[in-house]
Amino acid sequence: MNLRKVLSRYFLIDLLKGLRVTFKQQAPGEIITEQYPRVRPIVGERFRGAPRLNIDPDTGESLCIACNLCAIVCPENCIEVGWENREVTAGGRAAQKRKVLTTFIFDTSRCLFCNLCAEACPTYCLELTQDFELASYTRKDFIWDREMLEQGRKITKYTR
Amino acid sequence: MSEVLGLASPEWFAQLVTRLVALDRAWIDYAIWPIVQIALTLFIVATLVAYLVYLERKISAFIQARLGPMRVGPWGLLQPLADLVKLISKEDIIPDKADRAIFPLAPMISVMAGFTCLAVLPFGPTWLHIADVNIGLLFVFAFSSLGVLGIIMAGWSSNSKYPLLGGLRSSAQMVSYEVAMGLSIVGALVFTGTLSLVGIINGQIRSGVWNIVYQPLGFFIFLVCGLAETNRTPFDLPEGESEIVGGFHTEYSGFRWSLFFLSEYTGILIVSSVATTLYLGGWQIPYVTRMIDADAYPLIYALAGLASFTAKVAILIYGFMWFRWTFPRYRYDQLMDLGWKWLTPAALANIVLTGIVYTLLKSGFKLPFAGPDESYIGPSSASSRVAMIIAMCAIATPVALAILAFINRGTADWDIADQRQRQIAARADRRARIEADRAQVSE
Repeated sequence: MNLRKVLSRYFLIDLLKGLRVTFKQQAPGEIITEQYPRVRPIVGERFRGAPRLNIDPDTGESLCIACNLCAIVCPENCIEVGWENREVTAGGRAAQKRKVLTTFIFDTSRCLFCNLCAEACPTYCLELTQDFELASYTRKDFIWDREMLEQGRKITKYTR
Repeated sequence: MSEVLGLASPEWFAQLVTRLVALDRAWIDYAIWPIVQIALTLFIVATLVAYLVYLERKISAFIQARLGPMRVGPWGLLQPLADLVKLISKEDIIPDKADRAIFPLAPMISVMAGFTCLAVLPFGPTWLHIADVNIGLLFVFAFSSLGVLGIIMAGWSSNSKYPLLGGLRSSAQMVSYEVAMGLSIVGALVFTGTLSLVGIINGQIRSGVWNIVYQPLGFFIFLVCGLAETNRTPFDLPEGESEIVGGFHTEYSGFRWSLFFLSEYTGILIVSSVATTLYLGGWQIPYVTRMIDADAYPLIYALAGLASFTAKVAILIYGFMWFRWTFPRYRYDQLMDLGWKWLTPAALANIVLTGIVYTLLKSGFKLPFAGPDESYIGPSSASSRVAMIIAMCAIATPVALAILAFINRGTADWDIADQRQRQIAARADRRARIEADRAQVSE
């Protein structure tokens, strides 16, 4: 037994080292707990959460051209796009017959958030956002219609 | 008479009572004032204990990079209240096979043992302690060891395997640390010459030096034994939640369980208070206490003392909690090993060395010491104080450690790396022997 070992044994150096570690851990900067409902967590940019149908900010119309690509590419078949052919006059041009979106149903209970639909979308209309609070009380509530996809889910405010 | 017992009520209180009801001074001193003191102390200590639980949860949380209770009130400050409401409103359960007489009695004994000690604790000077008993220290030791009886009774009366193991562990733990604890304080008593807790503090105020500098080893032994007595980690064998569920209180729930909790935290408070009194100068503040004129400003003197005492106790309690979240639990045999092979010999060596140093300095070197008829009999001049500190810290403590090293020369080291190396060596040895045997057989 060398001298250093003897000294560390009788002056309890190992225990003091342990105490030092736990004492340093108490610094307020070390805390990683988030006060979740009160303070919103910062979600990663590439996180795929609730779907959204984007609206053209200039015209206020949906960017969706009802091409149905998202519904075709969806591995879970959870998207259902409804459209009709309509005469449309836009931008001062002559009336044109065009596909116009009527309904858009997105079943979030079956969605696996693979992002294939968003990648397939030619107009960057469908997007998976960072909103992660998708829980619901009934199965029916998981099926989102066009209005909900455009407005976004109403976020519950937790006051306490 | 009332001054002798330390029962005198402060002047402002006596005036207040006589203004309300015309009463004899003796009635105020002996009946009303003690009741007021007891009620206040119990209320404050019970509240404090609830907040110690909060503090423990906060400290554990910070050490583990969490936040702890945050939801009830600002920073979770009302959490103890919520816990209390929950515990009181729980169903009162006595298990079917439990001993119906002893089962409810056990937590009562634990709490009683803790709360009785409060009667003699010197929280502050003059009117801030309830009673100044001349055997105060013995009283505290007697009652705080009684708490173990409650634990053993709980373990036995639950009639279940885990509580029984917890109770057994508690009794084994008690015999291994109680001896060392009793012996560790003798070294400090050599300097005070009294068992009265107030007297011990007054002695330290008179000498101006805290006993910890004369008794570093004694303080350390006392602290370790105090951890064991209050069943705190690393000596929480009776509870051992990771091995024996809840130990002695496995079968307890609701209010009875909260009584055990109360007694545990009261125990921490008592051990810290006794350590403060014995070794850290009680309510003394270095340099400041002497400046305050106790007769001219009794209230300031008393409150400054109370603040000082509270601060010292708080630091020790923080230490207790810090240790809890740092050290792992000792094994059953390791505790025995520690108690009998390390703490008890160290405490005995401390007594002998303190006696030798004291006698040598007083009679051999003829250094000035306080007389025998005062409550303080330690070194009384600067030269004798310095000589005593050097003798105790630089000579006596290393000698005590050397004695410990000699006693424990054959004891296995708890160094895990070392144990592993020994294991490897033993395995290689065994393999060599087997191969030698095989070679013999093949020949």
